[in-house]
Amino acid sequence: MMFKKKMLVSVIAVWAVLCIAQAAPAAPPAGFDDNEIRIGQWGPQTGPAAPWGSVARGSKLLFDIVNEEGGINGRKIKYFIRDDMYNPAQTVGVVKELVERQGVFAFVGGVGAACGMAVKDYLAANKIPWVGPSAADQDFIQPLNPYLFAVYPLYRDEANVLAQYIVEKLNMKKVGMLYQNDAYGKDGLEGAKERLATYKMSLVAEIPVEPTEKDLASQILRLKNSGAEAVLMFVNPTAAVIALKTAANVGFKPQWISSNTLSDYPLMFKISGGLWEGVITGAFGEIPDSTHPLMVKYREAAKRLNPQERWGTFYSAGILFADPLVEALKKAGRNLSTEAVMKALNSIKDYQTIGPKINWTEKQHQGTDSVMIQKCGPNASYIQLQGWTTNDLATWKKK
Amino acid sequence: MDMKRDYYEDIQLFQSGVVLFWTVVLLLVLFTLPLVVPNYYVYLFNIIMVHIILAVGLNILVGSTGQISLGHAGFFAIGAYGTVLMMTLFQLPFILAILIAAFIAAFFGFILGLPALRLEGPYLAIVSLGFGLTIMHVIGGVDAFGGRMGIKVPPLDLGIKQLGISWILTTDFHKYYLILIMTIIMVVGARNILKTRVGRSFVAIRDSDIAAEVIGVNLTIYKTLAFAVSAFYAGIAGGLFGFVLGFFDPFTFNMILSIIFLVMVVVGGLGTILGGIMGATLITYLQYDLLKNIAEVPYFGALMVAVSKQWFTLVGLENFSSMAIGLIMIGIIIFEPLGMFGLWIRMKKYWMTWPF
Repeated sequence: MMFKKKMLVSVIAVWAVLCIAQAAPAAPPAGFDDNEIRIGQWGPQTGPAAPWGSVARGSKLLFDIVNEEGGINGRKIKYFIRDDMYNPAQTVGVVKELVERQGVFAFVGGVGAACGMAVKDYLAANKIPWVGPSAADQDFIQPLNPYLFAVYPLYRDEANVLAQYIVEKLNMKKVGMLYQNDAYGKDGLEGAKERLATYKMSLVAEIPVEPTEKDLASQILRLKNSGAEAVLMFVNPTAAVIALKTAANVGFKPQWISSNTLSDYPLMFKISGGLWEGVITGAFGEIPDSTHPLMVKYREAAKRLNPQERWGTFYSAGILFADPLVEALKKAGRNLSTEAVMKALNSIKDYQTIGPKINWTEKQHQGTDSVMIQKCGPNASYIQLQGWTTNDLATWKKK
Repeated sequence: MDMKRDYYEDIQLFQSGVVLFWTVVLLLVLFTLPLVVPNYYVYLFNIIMVHIILAVGLNILVGSTGQISLGHAGFFAIGAYGTVLMMTLFQLPFILAILIAAFIAAFFGFILGLPALRLEGPYLAIVSLGFGLTIMHVIGGVDAFGGRMGIKVPPLDLGIKQLGISWILTTDFHKYYLILIMTIIMVVGARNILKTRVGRSFVAIRDSDIAAEVIGVNLTIYKTLAFAVSAFYAGIAGGLFGFVLGFFDPFTFNMILSIIFLVMVVVGGLGTILGGIMGATLITYLQYDLLKNIAEVPYFGALMVAVSKQWFTLVGLENFSSMAIGLIMIGIIIFEPLGMFGLWIRMKKYWMTWPF
């Protein structure tokens, strides 16, 4: 018994010493040093949303190019990709790990509205800028989150532009809509209605789809009976494919128009068995085989640095989400600090690379309201129908 | 060495002075741990402890009663949503909210226990799988629950609003102590359940339900009770989990999560409290930390990156995470059916006679 007491006392003593030795509050490590700037991104590399994982790898390509060209003001970018499997619980984990253990200066991209929602307050509390979330969510920009800079056009703006295109360019009067029954689909619905109201028109059919529904026969029949000439889709890839297949079976052939979330034509073409040909979509970036000089440069670099990767819209989206951050880091100069970069980000004006023009001010962090309009040609080729188009009805701009 | 002379000796919480000593040491370590480790680990510990509560509860069902459940993410979700909604809609204090949510989960556990009276093995697995998925989709379809966009968790207020008492825990550090205390209560509770008549009935059902019935165990009551108790644990864990995250959507509680829970129990060791604890700790640590950052592990990380570049696809390294957990599971089943608990017993035996 004596021995045990001694043991107990000594263990407690050792532990107390350890505590005192290390009790100094451990502030998160700085996000940069003289040689490198650490930047992170979460994105689903595995799991159900894995096809969107190429966004995070696209940003890697941009940072590799920047590093090849000598880095930013003498510092190289060290880039961390963390797989969160599209699960907010894991997003919180990987973000905390990157911030508190690795020391990250800023985040870019980040797939998934829910994943972003789970970490946005944490990032703001730790004063870590987050540029170009690859999801559109009203909650990201309203109320203003000083550390969050959005590049992705809002679904509402996109639906507005698409509806305008249908009425003015395609001259179609009967527009139906198939929308996913959540914020994504409903934002699109609002936008389409808003635009049609300016022409004193309304949707001939508004059909909600549950994200998990696998049988859309009744919905498609309702659309068919409404006589819609054009059907606007704000749904997920699976629902879109089922809708197209069901419509083909019942002989319903409207002009399908979809949001940019389905603008990966090779993927959609493949999973729809070729039915995707002729579908018009919005787009957040230049077409993959564009002759835009920057696109040519990035395409060549991708062939050289990451030959395994398929050069597609989501991969290049990773570049355009991260571009403004690189620009701001350059502007901030050698004397780097979060404040300097925030100032540079807040003063980005008409900045354009392979995406839309980005404008940020102290009071407005939604960077753009513009989308392109593209069409799927034979063999999943891209045809550009209309260049960058802004939404003159965008509600967030008026404030 | 483990000879028991009477019943009271068997139900003693601390079997000997040695156990008491090491328990005190362990508690001291647990209570001082967040003071010495970086904040990130505190978050990881919180997740681990939440998973421990769940795994211990699941082990009562799977390990001790011999019923299978692939739907525990559903109970987990009920706990998380229930607690948050009780607090936001009815302004209930946290402790009351989490208890009510856990009882709701237990009620659903009872419901799921009913088909278990007739089904076993793979059939029960399918029913429980369906249950978990149904919960996820039902929650996603109800706007009051935040729909598919998820809900934001209110501040974790331990006080009672109606009396004007407020004690808000904001940091991971503060939440750690709340979760630690809850975990200790739940684990001791589980141990006590298993040491009583109820626990022995569970074990009797697992070993042979016909024999159990013959010796007077009411199968209807005890099978549904096992489900209810297990679901109660999942509910408590879910309620805490919501506050660890701060925001969640229905998809957080997907089928993969149910399977991971089962992996924790199998890897840790079926039918033992310690097994659940060890399994939850190991699998959570691997999943949230080590396998996520494998590229940064010294030496081994570089090797894996090279192997991945040479033979795997683009996301080979990320997929290695699932492969590793699968391999651990297969390895455990082949080489150590008792799981990590079995390894622990062997180690204990070895050291007991060391060095002779």
